[in-house]
This record gives sequence, structure tokens and C-alpha cells, in this order.
Amino acid sequence: MRLLVVEDESRMAELLKAALTRAGFIVDTVTLCADARAALATTRYDAAILDLGLPDGDGIELLGELRSGGNQIPIIVLTARDTIDDRVCGLDRGADDYLVKPFAPAELIARTKALLRRPGSALGTTLKAGNVTFDTIGRDARIGDVWLLLARRESAILEHLMRRVGRVVPKSVLEETLYGIGDELESNAIPVHVHHLRRKFAEAAATAQIHTVRGVGYLLVESKT
Amino acid sequence: MTRDWFGSLQLRLALRVAALYIAATVVVIVVLMSRAYDTARSLSDGELMLRATALAKYVSVGPNGVPRLDLRVSAAYDVPSVTDIFAIRDAGGRVIAASPPQFGDLVAAWPRATDEPVRFSVRLENEPDRYNGLNIKLDSGAGPLSISVARSNESATGAYLLLRKFIHDVLWAVSFLVLASLAFGILAIRSGLKSVRGVSEMASAIGPHATAVRLPDKGLPSEIRPLVIAVNRALDRLEQGFAVQRKFTANAAHELRTPLGIITVALDAMEGNGELIKVKADVERMNRLVDQLLRVAQLDAIALDVSGTTDLNDIARGVVATMAPWALTLERTIAFGGPDVPVNIKGNGHAIADAIRNLVENAVLHSPARTEVMVSTHTDGTLSVIDQGPGILAADRQRIFDRFWRGKGVKTPGAGLGLSIVQEIMKMHDGRVAIEDGPEGGSVFTLHFTLAARPPLSGT
Repeated sequence: MRLLVVEDESRMAELLKAALTRAGFIVDTVTLCADARAALATTRYDAAILDLGLPDGDGIELLGELRSGGNQIPIIVLTARDTIDDRVCGLDRGADDYLVKPFAPAELIARTKALLRRPGSALGTTLKAGNVTFDTIGRDARIGDVWLLLARRESAILEHLMRRVGRVVPKSVLEETLYGIGDELESNAIPVHVHHLRRKFAEAAATAQIHTVRGVGYLLVESKT
Repeated sequence: MTRDWFGSLQLRLALRVAALYIAATVVVIVVLMSRAYDTARSLSDGELMLRATALAKYVSVGPNGVPRLDLRVSAAYDVPSVTDIFAIRDAGGRVIAASPPQFGDLVAAWPRATDEPVRFSVRLENEPDRYNGLNIKLDSGAGPLSISVARSNESATGAYLLLRKFIHDVLWAVSFLVLASLAFGILAIRSGLKSVRGVSEMASAIGPHATAVRLPDKGLPSEIRPLVIAVNRALDRLEQGFAVQRKFTANAAHELRTPLGIITVALDAMEGNGELIKVKADVERMNRLVDQLLRVAQLDAIALDVSGTTDLNDIARGVVATMAPWALTLERTIAFGGPDVPVNIKGNGHAIADAIRNLVENAVLHSPARTEVMVSTHTDGTLSVIDQGPGILAADRQRIFDRFWRGKGVKTPGAGLGLSIVQEIMKMHDGRVAIEDGPEGGSVFTLHFTLAARPPLSGT
């Protein structure tokens, strides 16, 4: 997967490139808006990481320009400015995510991966968390080499959790999904399905766990090594 | 807008004007009346004098050498009405003639009259009225006489009648005039102060988020213009100050975060011994401190728009969802509980989320491992964060909100800015933070918001 990093701070660009490369991405870096425009016009990138304060213009302008030109490339905005107005403005102009400096590279990588997993993106058909894998096309899940036998609803829940590893999936989102899969939904249906998933995870010695955030939803995290 | 009526300039002016009017009116009436009574009295004195002189003319020496009053005059006085009375005494003090006779009896005891007329006032037996009259010594055909003439109060002379009517009319006219001019005066005060009122209403709209407003100084009374001009100048400086502060905050944010960001990313790439882990923790702490300092500076410099309406449930659920993964890495859990219906409050969703985030962060950091931090909302517009930590000493509950204050022996990272940020945000929302002991130890931080009258137009 190819990423474009637009960052004028050379040291930062260098470090980001190193971190993202270690995470398995192919990274190009540019320092100017103009260069970014040229790069995006000639090369197919899977996502772009855009710093807002650039020497030849504001990243926000570039973002607006790209979006109004119909470019739907996933973009994560990086900034040192974090007033609420800045944040809202960035998301309004079409940023997919927003990270305030300083941030841990792991966070940037996780968010980039999350963006690439989103529907609409052809990539990321196999989701991974620990030794758990989920094929979004074949709709089958494995833990290590063991195939999991999942009910339709269980596999739908697992897919949502795996698409957002490390982040909370609201219960309402899961409920909506399950409504789509026929039948009436009992009030305790989701806890029951999650319970089943957990049992199957435990039986197969999964290195990922499903946690409950009471009153909000569920999240899947990789076990600490 | 409610106005403090007793402090109002209008009322003060109106009261003073009214007092002035009433005092002036009383003085005018008293002066008028005393002058009028003086005139009336001298008129009636003149009339009595004329009668006394007329009576004296008709006194002559009778055939028996005794002075007597012409019988025709006596007859003229001999009518049932007793409005006019008189008594005539000769030089020896003997009563020559009197009408009615009991007046003569009364007068007989009086000293003789002198050349200077003396006023008197008597009451006769069997007569309801009081009589006012003159005692005067007059020469006549029968030598000097003491003549006493009087007239009843009731049948006052024309002068008194006129006077009474005059006073009656004047009192009405004056009170009407006073009321009318008072009303006119108040209207004049109101219209005169209208421009001032307009300016003060504009001034009340000025706040940190509306620093561009300037008060118009056109059409204002010259006493107030200098004040308004001075206020406008102060506003200029204030706005400038805010702008400088905003710019500084934004620059500081950029300048501080860029190198910190580089260090954070660079350290992350390094593999190393225990020392490196410590340095990473130090940088983490520095990041947090800078972040909170900037947040404090922003809250000071940038006015928050708190006019929106937002669902407290949504915000709290969002914060819990964002922070739950972080809490999990520390082996704590966060839970949310709230009513099924939205809790719509007035305020800025982002700032409120910030406040809740700070409370949850504190709660998680101060709780023992494998415990739960509970965030709950209530239909009365409150939100509480309950932890299982050591609790807050009653003595510390006030100081805990001071900037840079930290509990004794606290080992958690942080600069002691979180709670001051929470309090600042609550102040901006006209709300407050309360601290109580938790039901099972620990502490409960409760945020009190104002419920919104209507639901939000869109999601947060």
C-alpha cells in the first residue's frame, strides 16, 4: 500500500517515513502543497497524511481543492493546532481523520490501517487481530490455523469488531447490523452472541479479546505480548 | 432584560423632579393664600370701619342730654338676622346702643377703645357663629364714642367668598398642573435617556466572543459621551489583548508541539534498555503537560460558544468509547449509564467532552487496577464520574481545582491542570463541579449543567 506524506518539517517527515515503512507501507514524502498536487495527480496512493501548516499554503486549502475536484483518497490530517474550530474545520473540509501533534506513531499507523479497512476501499479484505483473521469476502474466520464455526450474526459482530480493532464499536451499530439479518432481535441478543464468540476465542486460544464497555459497546483488542 | 429599578437614573431623576414640583407648589400655595387672606382682611377691616363711621354719624345728644343713636338706624339693625352686630359706648363707657342687646352687655365690660382700631373676635350666647370685628374710638355729635362693629364668620364678606372660591379653583388647577408637568417631565427624562439606554443594552452584549462591538457615541448627552469613548478605547485594548493572546496560543501550540512530536516519533522507533523506557515516559509526561497548558491558555484566550444545545448522553458515551481502550491498557474499565431519553443541555459539546475526559482520566489514574470507573448522566442535567480510588479529603476539595495543585504523594502523571480545566469549562457554562464521597469509597465528581428548553437541531 502506497502512502503520501505531506510534511514540511524534514525531521518529522523522515521519522514518519521510517515508522510507516516499518509498518509495511510504501511511503513518499513531499514538503510543499504544489508537490503534493503533482504527486497525487501522477501516482495512485491509497491514502495521504497531510500536515496543515505548509510553506506554500495551508493544508486545509489543498484538502478542499482535492475534495471539490472529486478526489476521494482517504486523508489523515496532522496538525499542531487543536482548537475545536480547527478540528471541525478540518473534518468539514473532508478529512477522514484528525491527529494532533504530538502523537504516537502507533496511533497514526492504527488510524491509517483503520481508514484503509473502511468499506469502499478495495484493500483489507482479510482483517487481522492477534492470531485471529477474518476474510471479509469469504466471510470465514480463523484463529491460528483453526477455522471458526460462526453463526451469521456472530460473524457480523466479529467483522465489525475486527474492522475497528482497539476501538469501541457502539452497541447501536451492532444492533443495526443484526436487524438487517432477518428475525426479531431479542433485547439480550448481542450479549449472548458476544458471549459465544468469547467462548470460541478461549477454546481456540485466541491472542485477542473482546471487552465489554458497559453502556456503550464492545471492543476487540490484541492481547499484550 | 430586568432592570434594577431603584438604581435607575430615570427613577432617581423622576423622584427628584417630583419632590421639587411638590415643594414649589406648596410654597406657591402658601404664599398665595397668605397674600389673599391679607388682602381680604384689609378689605373687611375697611368695610367695618365704614360702618363704624356711619354709626358714629347717627349718634347725637338726645333731649335728655344723653347721647343716643338715631332710631332709624336702630330699626334698620333690628332684624332677626344677626350677621352684623354693633355696640356704641359713650366716653363714660356706658352702652348707648347695641344690636343685639347681649353684645352690648358683653362690650360693657371691655376697656374703652383707642384711636388705633383693635380687632376682636367674640362668640355670642345662643349664636353658633363667631364674630370678627373692630373696636374704634370715633368722634361724633355727642363727643368721643367707643364703637364696636363685627360681622359673623359665616356671612363673610364678598372678599372672603371670592377668596374661598379662588383657593378652591387654584388648588385644583395647581394639582392638575403639577401632575401634568410631572408626567411631561418624566417623559422628557425618558426620551432624553433613550440613547443612553440603547448604548447600555449594546454594552451588555459585549463579551469575550463579541469583542468587535463598539458603542455608538453619536446623539449621546455630552456628559456621557466621554464615558462611552473611554469604554470604546478600553474595548480596543481588550480586543487587541485577546487577539495577541490567541495568536500567542496558536504559535505556542505549533512551536511546542512540533519538536515534541519529532521526539515522540523518534523515541518510538528506538529499541532499548530501561533508561529509554523512562525517557519515553518523561516525554509522555511533557506531552501531557504541554497539551494541558495549551488547553488552559486556549480557555483563557478563546471565547467558547456555549449557546448550543447538545445531548449529554451522546457526549458521555463518546468520551467513554474513546477512553475505554486506554483504560483497558491500564487494566481498568469504564462504563456508562444514563436515561433512555436524551439529556439535552445548553453548552458546547466539544468543551463538555473535554471536561468529562479530564474527569475520567483522573478517575482512571487514581483507581486501583481491575476496578471500574462509572460515568452516568441524569435527567436533571447532571453527569457524575464515580471511581474506586482513595477519595478526596474534605480539606482538599477546594484546592484541588487550583492550577498545578497535586495531592500529596500522588505518583500519577499529570501537572495538576486537569481539574482546573474542568472548572473553567463549567464556569463558562454557568455550571459547577461538586465533589462527594463515593457510595463505596472513592469519590464522585458531579457536573451540573443547565437543561436546554428544546432538543438539539442536529447531533453533536
